[in-house]
Amino acid sequence: MAVTSAAHVTAAPPERESLNDWLDRQAGRLFILPAVILILGFSIFPLIASAYLALSRFKLAPGGYTLTFIGWFNFKKMLTGSQQFHLLGTFGAITLLGWVIMLATVALVVWGVVRYARSGRVTVVGSIGRLITIATALALSVLFAVNLGEGGQLGTIATTMFYVAGGVAVQFALGLGLALLCAKPIRGRSFFRVLFFVPLMVTPVGIAYTFRMLADTAVGPFAPLWHWLGYAQTSWSADAWTARFVVLIGDSWQWIPFIFIVLLAAIESQPRDEVEAAQLDGASGWQIFRDITWPSIAPVAATVVLIRAIEAFKIIDLPNVLTNGGPGIATESLTLHAFIEWRALNLGGSAAVAYILLFLSTIACVSFFNFVVKPMREARA
Amino acid sequence: MSVLKRLTEPKSLDSMSPLGAVLVYGGLILWSMVVLFPLYWIAITSLKLPIHVSAGPVYLPFVDFLPDLHAWRYIFVDLGNDTLRPYLNSIVVALVSTALAMLIGSMAAYSLSRLEFAPRLASILLFLLLGAVMIVAVAGFGVPWWIAAVVALALFLLLARAAGRTMRASLGNGDILFWIISQRILPPVVAALPIYVMFQTVGLLDTRTALIATYTTVNLPIVVWLMYDFFVTIPKDLEESASLDGASRFAIFFGIVLPLARPGLVATGLLVLILAWNEYLLALFLSSANAQTMPVLVAAQNATRGPQWWYMSVLILLMILPVIFLTLLLQRFIAKGMLLGAVKG
Amino acid sequence: MTIILDQTSKSFGSVEVLRALSLEVKPGEFLVLLGASGSGKTTALRMIAGLESVTSGRILIGSRDVTHVLPKNRDVAMVFQSYALYPHKTVFENIAYPLTVRKRPKAEIEKSVRDVAQQVQLDHLLERYPRQLSGGQRQRVALARAIVRRPSAFLMDEPLSNLDAKLRGHMRAELKHMQHELGITTIYVTHDQIEAMTLAHRVAILERGVLQQLDTPANIYNRPANLFVAGFIGSPPMNVLEGSLADGRFDCSAGSFGTASRASGRAVVAGLRPEDGRLAPPGQGQLAGEIYASELIGDHTLVTCRCGGATVTVKADKDFAGSIGQPIGIGFEERAVHLFDKASGERLQ
Repeated sequence: MAVTSAAHVTAAPPERESLNDWLDRQAGRLFILPAVILILGFSIFPLIASAYLALSRFKLAPGGYTLTFIGWFNFKKMLTGSQQFHLLGTFGAITLLGWVIMLATVALVVWGVVRYARSGRVTVVGSIGRLITIATALALSVLFAVNLGEGGQLGTIATTMFYVAGGVAVQFALGLGLALLCAKPIRGRSFFRVLFFVPLMVTPVGIAYTFRMLADTAVGPFAPLWHWLGYAQTSWSADAWTARFVVLIGDSWQWIPFIFIVLLAAIESQPRDEVEAAQLDGASGWQIFRDITWPSIAPVAATVVLIRAIEAFKIIDLPNVLTNGGPGIATESLTLHAFIEWRALNLGGSAAVAYILLFLSTIACVSFFNFVVKPMREARA
Repeated sequence: MSVLKRLTEPKSLDSMSPLGAVLVYGGLILWSMVVLFPLYWIAITSLKLPIHVSAGPVYLPFVDFLPDLHAWRYIFVDLGNDTLRPYLNSIVVALVSTALAMLIGSMAAYSLSRLEFAPRLASILLFLLLGAVMIVAVAGFGVPWWIAAVVALALFLLLARAAGRTMRASLGNGDILFWIISQRILPPVVAALPIYVMFQTVGLLDTRTALIATYTTVNLPIVVWLMYDFFVTIPKDLEESASLDGASRFAIFFGIVLPLARPGLVATGLLVLILAWNEYLLALFLSSANAQTMPVLVAAQNATRGPQWWYMSVLILLMILPVIFLTLLLQRFIAKGMLLGAVKG
Repeated sequence: MTIILDQTSKSFGSVEVLRALSLEVKPGEFLVLLGASGSGKTTALRMIAGLESVTSGRILIGSRDVTHVLPKNRDVAMVFQSYALYPHKTVFENIAYPLTVRKRPKAEIEKSVRDVAQQVQLDHLLERYPRQLSGGQRQRVALARAIVRRPSAFLMDEPLSNLDAKLRGHMRAELKHMQHELGITTIYVTHDQIEAMTLAHRVAILERGVLQQLDTPANIYNRPANLFVAGFIGSPPMNVLEGSLADGRFDCSAGSFGTASRASGRAVVAGLRPEDGRLAPPGQGQLAGEIYASELIGDHTLVTCRCGGATVTVKADKDFAGSIGQPIGIGFEERAVHLFDKASGERLQ
């Protein structure tokens, strides 16, 4: 082996680095530092503080306020006490619909457990995660069953879940439909794309007012129609379900564009040659969608649903402005519930509601990511 | 060829059958009306006199009713400053917080895309523990907040090394990225209360500063997430070449990387700007009179004026016109940015 | 300026990509680091540039120990395989970049850039953007950017591999000429042995992070230090025959012949370059076999023969006519044979 030895060479003593060079070496850390400080200060620190607040009673006192540690009282009051009707709703006798909901959930859980057990990749962490998901799903299905029972009423948890599940389902179906329409060989595609995109940018508060105007049965644009149907004197805002549906419609009008624009881009980037080959083989439009388009957009579709769900849990603008949470508490979301408690200076109760929302949305979103988004991405990869 | 077949079968692979075309265009036009009608209705309502509204619906300006600018005059002239101040607040808060979020978020995203971090798990747990102790001390025992902060920081610096020695596990860039993005799952209402108390303590409640700081943080995750995806697509060669050419990291970031990420910056910036512009909940908590933003003003019409639709329509138009204008101008970028986020997840 | 690597090692986690590499590049020398992918050649270059940290050992440029110096302070210029031109800057701005970040006076920048641009025949393209240039023009911009500030060394990472074959030959000549004119120490990384042989004053051959041989192209070709170098350099590669050495005579299943070695009683490998062999009628020559395939290349024919268990390729006349399966003999000058120790692969003699 030919090896030159350089041990004889003595180098000049290393020069001292300037401040500039030191800064240059630290640049990476300096770059990330402001973000970390901001998030710690405005996100992590408040999160911890909120936990303490949720376990305390807040009272205004001369010259400020006092906080008294009261343990789980705030939670107890809402889960089993005087505020139960607000958070969990009123429980009624379970009807056929309730049984169907619970049976469907149980069936889904059993199917998932069997699949997991058969996969041969059972781990401790995976099992614990699944147990949490299953417990939450079962609890929610029972909650819906009793809320929807005779004499039952939805609380803010059930109402929020309705906005999330119902909203995402409606928006996904219509967004996908519009994306498929726009992906056809049409003229003016970019015109439609821009036009359909607009609602996403409109202030939710503005949307709330607009839909209040539009839905007005006496002076709204559809008043003649309601009149003809004989509904001119009834107000949609007096009935719990119509009020919820109006909120859902406003929310959907705003968010369909989001799902539309992402899915359209995903459809446009699907493998062209596969589609052409299928067309030459004489596949029908439905077969092409099922066998080529859907598999190629499924991972994107799952992700877009997840993003939408994350934001949907935070809904407040629409119910607050459209219906003020009413009639009664029928359209009140969890965020609005927390806000109303805060306005009543019940800061502890407000923090407790907020924490319940945090747990619910985290469990739901993490479960969705682990059990839907991830498998779909892996299947594609 | 039968008529039915002619109607349902396309002439070539790239075109639609006549029947299909009717259905597709029908669907598109129908949805266009769904999108446009609410906007049209606000526009004409802003030009209506109260009588035009209360007497039942009228649809066509100049045909059904004579448009009148009285609502616009009322908002701009009679209310004047009461409209102008929130409008100005909204503009300042949205622009400044967007600029800050873009700067801080891009820097963090770049750092994560290029350097390897390995924070010790033990230090993080210690930090959280001290944070919790500090909050209990301040809130429960009335210790002044600055004393608690200094003590906690000193303890952290003292103990961090020892903690690192006992527990060797550390996190990676992926974990940090996930941690930042996951902040988006956090419902703002959870953080809103303590932030409210925090700003009250330092006397910044109802100021633009409070809103700017909060919005910047709330929108950081989006910026980090989307910009990270843009930065990883920029070839490292360019930066290595620049560093050999004599550029510092700062010069590379501002002179090479940011200009190359411009499409991403525009898309993300616009998205964040619109989110800040439309934000309602935090503004509701943190502002009352001075720093009130437009969404809060619009929402407040509910209580103060009842259904005076004509004034509200003007306010809503004021809010959505600049945004729609920006959207039309830059929509190509937004679609791209959203896709990147969704596809890469 | 002299560049010295002193026992320089690099590991990524538990993977050692460069093991105690020591070499000295003389002032004005054109040194080529040659190796297959994964040999550690690019890592070595990036360590000299400062783009990769050094696990152990040191790097000297001139008399400065630069082992821990930031890339921007090492005063070396690098040409990347991708050229790494800044897409948002014009050709002028690209070339000027090393000077502008150093905040040189405007007039000086203007003059230096125009001079260098003329040198590489880019003066008419200064206002264009990289995307508007051809591959060869981009290559020139990258070179100009490296030249413009007169660095103490050039580092080049496969700079020609993105060009088509014809342009590559042309640029190779230009590069050699330019380096000669400027007299700047150059370290050039490539996996292409033709580039290495034609450009280099000396070639360093790396394999799995270990330096195999460092010598002039002629010596590398004529006296390969070990079996790896013997097989790596030359196209088609050297023929190898496994056998034993007894009293200076090599013996294998295909035949036996005398060698210059006096060693005895050990397992060796004999190597013969295709152009050193000649075909002979059956029974003549030192090796016996049969024709396996013959390929007309143009000015010569490559004849592959089966000799015992081995395959021997010989360069024959372009009008060679032989049929497959025909028995044949192979002859050669006995001093043209290279001998290597079978166990260590090192050259004997």
